[in-house]
Amino acid sequence: MNETAPVQSQGFYAEEMTISVGPQHPSTHGVLRFVVKTDGEVINEAIPDVGYLHRSIEKIGEKVTWHGYVPYTDRADYLAAMFANQVFCMAAEKLAGTEVTRRGEFCRVIACELNRIASHLISVGTFGQDIGAMTPFVHALRERETINNLMEEICGARLTYNYIRIGGVGYDILPETCTRITEFLDHFEPIVDEFNRLLSNNKIFIERLAGVAVISKEDAFSYNLVGPNLRGCGIKWDIRRDIPYSVYPELEFEVPVGTGQVGTLGDSYDRYWVRIRELQESCKILRQCLKMFPKGPAIAKVPRKFKPPVGECYARVEAPRGDMGFYVVSDGSEYPYRVRIRTGSFTAMSIIDKLSKGIMVADLIALIGSLDVDAPEIDR
Amino acid sequence: MSVASYVKNIKDTVTSVFEGMTITFSHLVRRPMTIQYPDKIPVPIQETLPRRYRGILEVDMDICTGCLACERDCPITCITIGIEMDKETKQRNFTHFDIDICKCMYCGLCAEACPTGSIRHSQEFEGASYNPAGLVRHFVTQPAPLYKPKKGGETDPKLAEKVDTGLKYLDEFATPDGGAAAEEG
Repeated sequence: MNETAPVQSQGFYAEEMTISVGPQHPSTHGVLRFVVKTDGEVINEAIPDVGYLHRSIEKIGEKVTWHGYVPYTDRADYLAAMFANQVFCMAAEKLAGTEVTRRGEFCRVIACELNRIASHLISVGTFGQDIGAMTPFVHALRERETINNLMEEICGARLTYNYIRIGGVGYDILPETCTRITEFLDHFEPIVDEFNRLLSNNKIFIERLAGVAVISKEDAFSYNLVGPNLRGCGIKWDIRRDIPYSVYPELEFEVPVGTGQVGTLGDSYDRYWVRIRELQESCKILRQCLKMFPKGPAIAKVPRKFKPPVGECYARVEAPRGDMGFYVVSDGSEYPYRVRIRTGSFTAMSIIDKLSKGIMVADLIALIGSLDVDAPEIDR
Repeated sequence: MSVASYVKNIKDTVTSVFEGMTITFSHLVRRPMTIQYPDKIPVPIQETLPRRYRGILEVDMDICTGCLACERDCPITCITIGIEMDKETKQRNFTHFDIDICKCMYCGLCAEACPTGSIRHSQEFEGASYNPAGLVRHFVTQPAPLYKPKKGGETDPKLAEKVDTGLKYLDEFATPDGGAAAEEG
């Protein structure tokens, strides 16, 4: 045996073991790798190794036209493609001073909130699956399938929508689709309660998450957490409410925050519970939008050769994984000069290293799941 | 931990397991959400897709004006069009019109740019092939003349139906105001 190996006080050899979790581990969504240094079952260090899903979306932005870049933004976060669409279009509109039509804004909000429900369903479903609850995952995906069908009706695609265009939306939401969305909401709201009975109120599930990977308010600020992860720590911060955009100021909705109801404030269960509450809030927003849906054109007149004036701007929206921002620079030509994407998953990823010190290997999976880290969003 | 809380924990766990099982069993008697594919479906799956579904691109060469708008608007240049002037007849002909389905990302920007609605998304999505070359769709097999809309607005009766189909497609799918206009009128 190696003579220089560290000897622990109990009198047996104990070496730090290095394990590679991922990139093909089923619990790391997408291709995501962790180099985990463990002492038995206890983690000393978990270093995230990102870059397996890098597609250089930012660089592509310099090579395609402003209109042509919209389908690429879908790929930044394929679980919530609508938000990347919207924020890029918002940035371009800000640069050019384009006014979005009122019906266009409502179409955007309806599509985005549907997408938020779909994304959160994936998040809570896979979270349950990661820590061993198989059935809720299938229930969540079943509901998401209905949303995919609705999206197919609205814009013709199930995952990479390319729905929101500069100046409005690509296709109007037809009255029959509105009826089907209402039908879906009537069906979905009781399903959330059923889901709570199935998973959220399950004693085993609660015991598994209460007090695991607690994030303090200070840490949340210093690591720049955003979205449900930040709200899980009890901080009321939502871009929709605090830096209003689109028609959100006219809509009534609550910003759910973590309360530490089963354990400590800011634990994994709080982050999970914020997402469940947001599902209900999104349903509320959708109902209001369908009621207030104005008539008129869905897109403003935008030239096919879109050339915004020289300048730069930053736009941000509240995506399911938090504050998503696009920083675009224009040099007055047909192509963007520079596009920079800021996503919520990247910062959530950086806090994993700190939180994982001293927790069990199995809890690492619960931690990744509770932060809702999405690999394509990290690498872009 | 006291004995009382220990017993309560066990009780809570058992009840929550049974609560979950009641939901699971209630789904046993419901109709399944899944369908068997590709067999055992009464109608072809393509017919059940919504009208706006963005499937594999198809081109109606009879009403294509050769304006190259789709080629310009495609972000990944998966459309390549060749047009040549015939010196004898002074007529412009298509030499090729290829769409690489491997590259296409079904964004729908080409269909929106088309003035006559000749390039459009079909409901077709089953495009498996043994080699990548089989996924390049050639719409021109031999040099063919371009479609020229007549100035008076009258269309060739042979093509009238095709022109109508194209314009209807533009109205319903690619024009964003189509729905709003239909609702008002």
